[in-house]
Amino acid sequence: MARRRKASAAAKRGPPAALPGPPSSEDEAPEAVSFGEAREAAETERKLVGEAARRHRELLREKRRRRQELFAEQKRRKLLPEAVLQELAAAPPPRPGGQAAAAERGKSRGGGAAKQRQGRVQRQGRVQRQGQVQRRLKTDKQRKGARSKGNYTAVCLKDQSLTGLHQQLAKDFLNTHLYGPDTKRAQANEFFSLENKKNPVKKAAVEFVDKSWGQEKKQRALRFKIRWVSTQIKN
Amino acid sequence: MGEFEVHRVRFFGLVPAGVRCLACQPRGGRLALARTDGAVEVYNLAANYYQEKVIPGHETRSVEALCWAAGGERLFGAGLGGEITEYDLARLCAARSVDGGGGPVWSMAANDSGTQLAIGCEDGSVKLFQVVPGGIQFERNLDRRKGRILCLSWHPAGTHIAAGSIDIVRVFDVCSGRTVQRIMVNYHVQKVKRECIIWSIAFLSSGAVVTSDSFGRVQFWDWERGTLLESHTVSTSAVLSLAVSEKEDSIIVGTSTGATFQFQLLPVKIGSLEKRWVRTKPFQHHTHDVRAVAHSSTALISGGLDAQLVIRPLMEKVQKKSYDAVLRKFTFPHRRLVSCARKARLLLFQFSQHLELWRLGSTEGTGKDGEVLPLCRMPEHLLQLKSKGPEHIYCSCVSSCGSWVAYSTASRFHLYRVQYEGDGVSVKKVPKAPKMLLPAYQLQFSSDSGSLFVASARGSVHVLQLLERGGCKHLHTFRPPSGCPEAVYLLAVSADRHWLAAVGGDWVIHVYNLKCLKHHCTVPTYSCAVTALAIHPLTNNLVIAYSDQQLFEFSIPEKQYTAWSRTVQNCGLHKAWLERDSPITHIAFNPKNPSHILLHDIYMFCVLDKSLPLPDNSTLLMNQSTLKQLPETARQRQLHAFKICKKFQPLLFADLLDENCLVMVERPIMDFKTQLPLPVQQKKFGT
Repeated sequence: MARRRKASAAAKRGPPAALPGPPSSEDEAPEAVSFGEAREAAETERKLVGEAARRHRELLREKRRRRQELFAEQKRRKLLPEAVLQELAAAPPPRPGGQAAAAERGKSRGGGAAKQRQGRVQRQGRVQRQGQVQRRLKTDKQRKGARSKGNYTAVCLKDQSLTGLHQQLAKDFLNTHLYGPDTKRAQANEFFSLENKKNPVKKAAVEFVDKSWGQEKKQRALRFKIRWVSTQIKN
Repeated sequence: MGEFEVHRVRFFGLVPAGVRCLACQPRGGRLALARTDGAVEVYNLAANYYQEKVIPGHETRSVEALCWAAGGERLFGAGLGGEITEYDLARLCAARSVDGGGGPVWSMAANDSGTQLAIGCEDGSVKLFQVVPGGIQFERNLDRRKGRILCLSWHPAGTHIAAGSIDIVRVFDVCSGRTVQRIMVNYHVQKVKRECIIWSIAFLSSGAVVTSDSFGRVQFWDWERGTLLESHTVSTSAVLSLAVSEKEDSIIVGTSTGATFQFQLLPVKIGSLEKRWVRTKPFQHHTHDVRAVAHSSTALISGGLDAQLVIRPLMEKVQKKSYDAVLRKFTFPHRRLVSCARKARLLLFQFSQHLELWRLGSTEGTGKDGEVLPLCRMPEHLLQLKSKGPEHIYCSCVSSCGSWVAYSTASRFHLYRVQYEGDGVSVKKVPKAPKMLLPAYQLQFSSDSGSLFVASARGSVHVLQLLERGGCKHLHTFRPPSGCPEAVYLLAVSADRHWLAAVGGDWVIHVYNLKCLKHHCTVPTYSCAVTALAIHPLTNNLVIAYSDQQLFEFSIPEKQYTAWSRTVQNCGLHKAWLERDSPITHIAFNPKNPSHILLHDIYMFCVLDKSLPLPDNSTLLMNQSTLKQLPETARQRQLHAFKICKKFQPLLFADLLDENCLVMVERPIMDFKTQLPLPVQQKKFGT
């Protein structure tokens, strides 16, 4: 059964794509195709498909490569320029006091004032006795924290974000409960026109003309007027 | 009398901010009011409800609660910014602010003695602060639960605090800080279960807690048992505000539809001892939400988001039937927001954060009385100056020739030089303004644009000399001889640059001599606030308008009241004149007719002719229309000094440009009502 199917599939595919076969009706007997011809046809077909798949894979590979390069570029851009990094690496290590302060900050957070002062003297000694790894870590920390010379002052801005967020939430609460969906609010025009409608002498609504009608036309007319006036002035 | 060509200006786009909070001073006659833009105003109820102090707002400042403390001496405000601000009423600025520490503050109340402040915060905590001489100090937190505290009230004895939140009313015991009662205020409708928001609360000394909520109900609860005593549904929309009278027999509530209701504690049957709360009087004074109400000893006061302040005196509390029993509605401020450059025919409009300079249009035609003339040149919007920064503008002024514009905010003073080339305008800022104590409360240029007078704190007035090439130099500072803690709020300069008159918050008018730079004299004190001041160009008489509608004329060279002024005081002003609602905000003169004084308030414009006889109470005050119909001879017999025109209303500014040209700046109320927040729908049959 599989062979019959294969044969019929081969027959259906027919000769290579360049020669479109005549439309075969179902009443006629299938065409007789030799095994060799069918094999050649299958091979060419397979080759074509293989080519297409390869091209597709190449394309994907190319894309992936380009993305990786882009990320590498971005990463490189994020870091400080080479020159600055080298300078920082070559910068002399900070004073022992500074080092001790850094160490102290890292180690004791909750210590009392007196303890800190004593600790500082002790730790100074300890720091200088510590190994290469520790120092490198500390210098790494300081490298990030230390800066090359420059005239600047670092200021801490007042934290706006949290209060702003709270205020926004509060205002949203007010808005939903005063002007939200189930508060039955009316447009100003409708509200103030009620009187005009109820009067013995009926009058038009308060805002009879909507000023937003024909905005585009009005703008075009304005631009034309400006252009025309400028041409007139030139002449 | 005179025919005038009137420039009727209606392009001043002022939209007043809505009223958000009201607070009656406990043992004084003052009312503090806070608006949605952060401005705080103080009205003096005794001085004919004059708006005596205005502290302009701030972009980031929102005021949700206002209260008087320390026996009614100090004013505190708190808002969604989370800070409690104390307002300095002498220097008209926000003095100190302390962070509440609980996020946005929704409500604040002071206890009866004014020594403690309680605030209700967004995070659900009630915090207590002590009012100390230097400011306020955090005392402690009361028991904190989930749910923002929207309203607070102290028990008159100061032992308990009732706080309203969403669906819940909590009563705290102040000493221990614990919650002693939780009352659920839920409202279960068959299908929809909505949240019930308690917008305002009051604690009565009988132990009843009054709440108003978003379902339109006013409910009375027994706090000890946690049960409902009485429930009244007054409206289908929310009841936003509540205030109880001092005697606790009358309550005013304000709703979202603009209606206010009065509840009174009345005996069930005449003579019986049992009393019930009954809804007595409904009022519909506002079109928009009434977010603030207050109850003074004689009146019901409500303020709405339609920027109106309505004071309704209670008939039963008023002793005699006089003008005191009349309804008062205030929409526009009681000070000048428009300056006019007479020679250049320019108007400067002061908004809260920007200024607009307009040139008036002109017409060629002439016409008869009442005709509208066609314009040959339309009014032009020349300049818009935006104030940098979040602060609102205190005062502004334009010089008579139109080439100098100055304005001041709370911390900055700006002076600009404006040049007109053909049809265009160029503005240049004057750098290095002299250092003076800011803010400036009033600015006035001299008539020849050579000097600028700056009204400052503690009664002082600075004189700045304006240089031709565009600079400015500080010349002199005038100070009142006996010192004054309050700020100067009105200035007047004589046309010959000889005299300067200044009024401070203590209502004493000082006159200074500009030629020898010394204090000249003090006008005898009067028991009311000064609302307008001007010096006559020829006679150097100082014309003063007071908030109780009295008019005085003081001769500066002679240092005494003029004969005409004495006559006016002896005869008394006409009753209809004294019964006007709004104060006179501007006085001008006609150089061609020295005996004319031009005055205006919000609802009328008057030309006062000193040479004509004064009307007595039996004659009609507003007789212009009848006079027009009389023949010439009969007219002469009926003429009197007050010529009032009520055609232009509401009038924000009126001035004389030249001998037969007037400018009137109106702001019809419907013009800005459509720009206010949305009102609640009203379903009317047949529409």
